[in-house]
Formats: sequence, C-alpha cells, structure tokens
Amino acid sequence: MIAIENLRKEYKTQVVVDVDQLSIGAGESFGLVGNNGAGKTTLFRMILDLIRPTSGTVTINGKNVQMNDEWKFYVGSYLDENFLIQYLTPEEYFKFVGKLHGYSDADLAGFLAKFEELFHGEIIGNKKFIGDLSKGNLKKVGIAAAFIGNPQVVILDEPFENLDPTSQIRLKELLKREKSQRNLTYLISSHDLNHVTEICERIVILEKGKVIKDLKGSANALVELEEYFKA
Amino acid sequence: MVNLLLSHSWKRFTRSISFSKDTATLIFTGILGLMMFVYALALGLTLDIIIIKGLKQNNAIHFLNSLFLYYLGFEFIMRYMMQNLPVLDVQPYLHLPMKKSKIVHFLLVRSAVHLLNLLPLILFLPFALKVIAPQHSLSTALVWAVTVWLCSLTIHYLVVLFKKALDDNIFGILTLLAIIVLLGASDYYGWFRLSDISASAFDSFVTTRALIIIPLTLLATAYLLCFRFFRAAMYPEEISYRKTNASGTTQDFSFLKSFGLIGEMINVEMKLILRNKRPKNILYLSAFFLLYGLIFYTNDKYMEGLPGILLFVGIFITGIFMINYGQLLFSWQGGHYDFTLTRPVSMREYVESKYWLLSAVTIICFILSTPYLYFGWKILFVHLAMMLFNMGINVFVILNLAMWDPKKVDLQKGVTFNYEGVGLAQWIMSIPILLGPYIFYLPFSFADQPELGIAAVGLAGVIGIIFRSKLIDLTTRRLMARKYKIAAGFRKD
Repeated sequence: MIAIENLRKEYKTQVVVDVDQLSIGAGESFGLVGNNGAGKTTLFRMILDLIRPTSGTVTINGKNVQMNDEWKFYVGSYLDENFLIQYLTPEEYFKFVGKLHGYSDADLAGFLAKFEELFHGEIIGNKKFIGDLSKGNLKKVGIAAAFIGNPQVVILDEPFENLDPTSQIRLKELLKREKSQRNLTYLISSHDLNHVTEICERIVILEKGKVIKDLKGSANALVELEEYFKA
Repeated sequence: MVNLLLSHSWKRFTRSISFSKDTATLIFTGILGLMMFVYALALGLTLDIIIIKGLKQNNAIHFLNSLFLYYLGFEFIMRYMMQNLPVLDVQPYLHLPMKKSKIVHFLLVRSAVHLLNLLPLILFLPFALKVIAPQHSLSTALVWAVTVWLCSLTIHYLVVLFKKALDDNIFGILTLLAIIVLLGASDYYGWFRLSDISASAFDSFVTTRALIIIPLTLLATAYLLCFRFFRAAMYPEEISYRKTNASGTTQDFSFLKSFGLIGEMINVEMKLILRNKRPKNILYLSAFFLLYGLIFYTNDKYMEGLPGILLFVGIFITGIFMINYGQLLFSWQGGHYDFTLTRPVSMREYVESKYWLLSAVTIICFILSTPYLYFGWKILFVHLAMMLFNMGINVFVILNLAMWDPKKVDLQKGVTFNYEGVGLAQWIMSIPILLGPYIFYLPFSFADQPELGIAAVGLAGVIGIIFRSKLIDLTTRRLMARKYKIAAGFRKD
C-alpha cells in the first residue's frame, strides 16, 4: 500500500528523517512511536506530500505521491489544526469535504451518524465556528473528516491527545469497528503506548529519524516498548 | 514589576518575526515614519509664517485657536486608524500573581508611548515659542502648548475606549468623518460656528494660565475611565474580539452549487471574507472606493478628451477588491493550506476558483459603476476596458506575485495600517498592475488617438481572457513548484 524508499529529510545539517526502507501493507495497522523530535510528524507530512523530501520517495499504491493527486481520494488524514477551516462551522466543513468526495446530503447524514457517540452532542448543531472549539473537539472534527470518502488509508497524528477518557475509549472502539468492516490501513502516531498497542498490530519506534525497532504482531509489544522507553 | 513588563514588550518587538525577517516592510514603515516626522517638524516651524503671510490672518493666535477643535477631531480619526491597544499581549500575565490593576496601568501607560503623542508638541511648541512667548510670556506659551498636548493625550485615551466599544468597526470611523465634514460645512456657511467655541476656549488658556487644571482633569478622567473599563474587562474571552456565536451568520450561497467543485470552493472563500474582520473590511473599503470616481469625474480638468488619468481611476473602481484582497490571496487561507494539499482538490481547480472569485467581483464592480454613465459614455468605455484588462491580465499578475513567499495572517485583525503578511512582493505588486494598462495606452495617446489606446487596453484584456485556460495552466505549474515552500511558510508561526 505505502512504500518508503531511502527517505531523508535534512534541515541544514540536521537529519530529521532517515528511513531506508519501510513498507506498509494494505489492511495493516501501523503504529508509530518515538519521543519528541523523533521525526514522526515530519514522516507523516512527507507521506502526505506536505514536505519535499531531501531525497527518496514515498509511493502509495505504486505511485509517487509527489506531483500526483490521485492518492488524495483514498487517503484520509488529520495531523493538526492546519487541516481544519477555522471560520466554518463543523457542519459546513463536513459538507465541504463531503462534496469533494461526491457525498450527497443523505450520504453525509449517514456518515455522521457513525460519529454521534464520539461527538457527544458537542459538535453538530452548536452554531460554533471550528476556530472556537476546544482542542478535544477540534481533534474529533479532524478525525471524523479524515474518514469521509471511505478512505483505504487513514493517517492520524496523536489522535488520543487532548481527548477526555470517555472519548479516548469511544475513539478506540470506533477505529476498531471501522477496520473490522473493511480493509482499512491505519497509520497512527501516539505517545500513549497502551492505546497504540491496542489498536496497532505493528509498531515502529522512531529515534532521531531512524527506524530503531519494527515490532510485528508481537504479543508483548507493550512490554518491549516500555523496556525501550525506560532506558 | 512594570519595568519587567516593559522589557518584555521590548523583547517582543525586537524578536518578532517582522523585525528580523521582514526588512522590506520595516524599512518602508521606517521611511514613512521619518517622512511624517520631518513634515510635521517643517510644518511646526513654519506655522506662524503660513498663518500670517499665507492666510493673511493678523491675529495668528486667535486664528489657530479657532481651529483647535477641528485639529483634535482630525487627530481622533488619525489615532483611530493608527494606534492599537494590544490587550491580548497581557494574556500570559493574567494567571500570574500580579495585581490586575498593575497590568492595566502597564497596558495604558505603554499605549501612550507612541509617536503620535509627540505630534502636538512638534507641531505647536515652535509656534508657542515664536509667537506667543514674545506677545505674552514664556510661561504662558508653555502653558498653552502643554494644554494642547494634554488635550491630545485625552483624545488618545478616548480613542482607546471608543475603539473598544465599536470593536474596531470601519463604519464607526466613517460616521465620525461625516460628522466632522458636516461641522466644517456648517462653519463655512455660518450656520453653526464650532470655530468660535474653539477660539474662545483656547484663547482663555492664553489669558488665564490657571485654567490648565481643566485639561489636566479631562486627561485624568479619560485615563480613569479607561482604567476602570479595562480592569473590569480583563478576561481573555471578553477582551478578544472573536465572537463565539455563529448563529445568524451561517449563510450559504446555494447558487454557487451549480458551478460544481469550483463553486464550492468559492462558497467557502466567500464565507472566509464575510466572517473575518480583515477581509470583510477590505470588502467594505472596496464598496467605498466605488465613489472614488466622483473626485475626478466632477472635475472638468480631468474630463476634457480622454486623459490617461481616467485609466487609473478605472483600475481602482473595477479592481480595488482584486488588488487589495489579491495581495494576500494565498495568505488568507494559510491557516488551512495543508487541508487544501491533502484533499482531492487539484491545484488547477484551486487556482481556477481564485481566478473566478476575483473576476466575478471585478464584473460586479463594473456593473455597480454603471451609474457613472451620468458623466458620459466615455467613462463607461474606460471602465469596461479596465474591467477586461483586470480579468485578462492583472488577475494573473496578482495570482503569480501573491505566491511569492506568502505569510500567515490573523484574519481577525483590522485592516488599517495592518502590515501583517505584507512583504516585498505585496509592495511591488501594485507597480505592474497600475503601469500595465499604460503600456498599451501610451503609444496611441502619443499618436493623438486616445480612444484607440483605451480600446487597445480592452483588447489586451480580451486576449488574456481568451487564453485564460493556458494562463491558468501556467500559474498552476508555478504554484505546484512552490507549494512546499508556501506550506512550510504557513506552518511556522
């Protein structure tokens, strides 16, 4: 699904990302962990063609993401608030994104029904602009929008950050449910080792831009991760 | 404590991005400031000569005094446009163990550190020393100058309050301007003479020095009013001007739906314009600029034949929105540029939506300007040519220059003297836009065929419109090549 080859990003003399080879198969749940500054967000941005790599390529379904719009139809993503349009209400924003994917009003209503539980009545019908929402609610809007258009790949940066405990649990259930219904690929970065090991069967540790560990289907991934981060 | 706060604001000034990186803007504003200072000083030094020799007034003091209330009104408007109370800067201090009243005092005292507050002294102290001191005494002269200065400072604090109350609304200042013009007119025709009141008030400061207590009291009152107002309102949610309720503003432009995806994108951008202060003010200003023609078209000097100046007026009337909004064309949506890049929107559609938005507003401006037909067909002819030129050529100049290092802007700040996001590209952008039409006009005008010159301008526009699709392709290609740089610029804050 996603293949990374010799991907490097340098800022002046500092190497931020340096991944020789990494491929993520269709239907895989890929978790990315690492301390601050490990290059997680930069890696995600390069996968989404938001930053030009110093060298190397990212291909999705065999096509380079650079100079190519096709992948945008089946990759949903939410990294940060730059993905939201502050002066729209959440409804207007969903509607706009829905339009980009050819949703009718009925399609959208059906889609949003799935998120009712996560939204907890605080997103829809509140007559607030996105710019005025709390951080947790911003995250919910962004995550929901990432699922619009039945994407094959969903990329989320720190999805659990800023969410209250109830929402964290509901989000976990939602992510699992979506995946159980179709062949969905997740790329999720997180600082919360419990959550990320629960959702992802494959965990990659990034340190100073390099892949340090690649744990696939490990039964005691959580223990291994804790060992690593203790040091 | 206040020293510490002051040192913070100095650091803030010297460390802000605009100070270190945006040298073009800094130099420009610096030159502007220096020029204003030199002009004011020159005016101050020659004020007595101007009044006595130029305006033939034998009682210079009385004459100047009669104008003071107008001067203060003028100062009010100037201050309204130029000065800002940076209330939000104190937000990081509110939760710290400092007295709220101290923070408010700091805020108000710091606001007085402004070049404008020296203006009355620069303007009137020379006059006081040259004219009043010899006639009366040095102390009288100083009292008079200080009185004017105190009045000016009072205006400073009144503006702070007024601006807060009106939420920096552009209509407030237009209303005030209208009132001053009306008062001036009634003075001129002798219905109601504000100048008499002004003269008797300020004359009495010359005769009775003790009266300086009055402006002192006024200043203290204005300061106290400000202080009480801001101490009570020192909550982030109250002092920030963003409104949290979207009800009533959730309009939708459903007619755009028939234009497909591009229509949807324009729909979103119209919401951007109508829901955020800075772009909205630009829209209002553009509406105001439709009246710009009245200055020229009512003057016979400009109406003989077809002088080139009419082109200039035509550019502004049909294109003022395009120029003003287009300067920051990509910056407006800088807050969600990553969104645009990761969604299934092709860059070409993105560019096309911008093209149509700017062009549509130009067409609307042209239609709204048709009443100028009253001044003759040639006006309409010039406007039509300029509309075509704006749609065919200028729009591409703007699209291409706007992608030169755009910066993120705060959509909620006011428009007057706000240079956020304005870099070198924005400063020089107006040069090709304003000079472009003359490349086509001047050859014909020198050959004494101005009508053909205007037609050539229109024709150039039509050619641009015909090759629109090609030009949009080229623009898209440039934008694609620059997109990482633009995105990185928007991400850093």
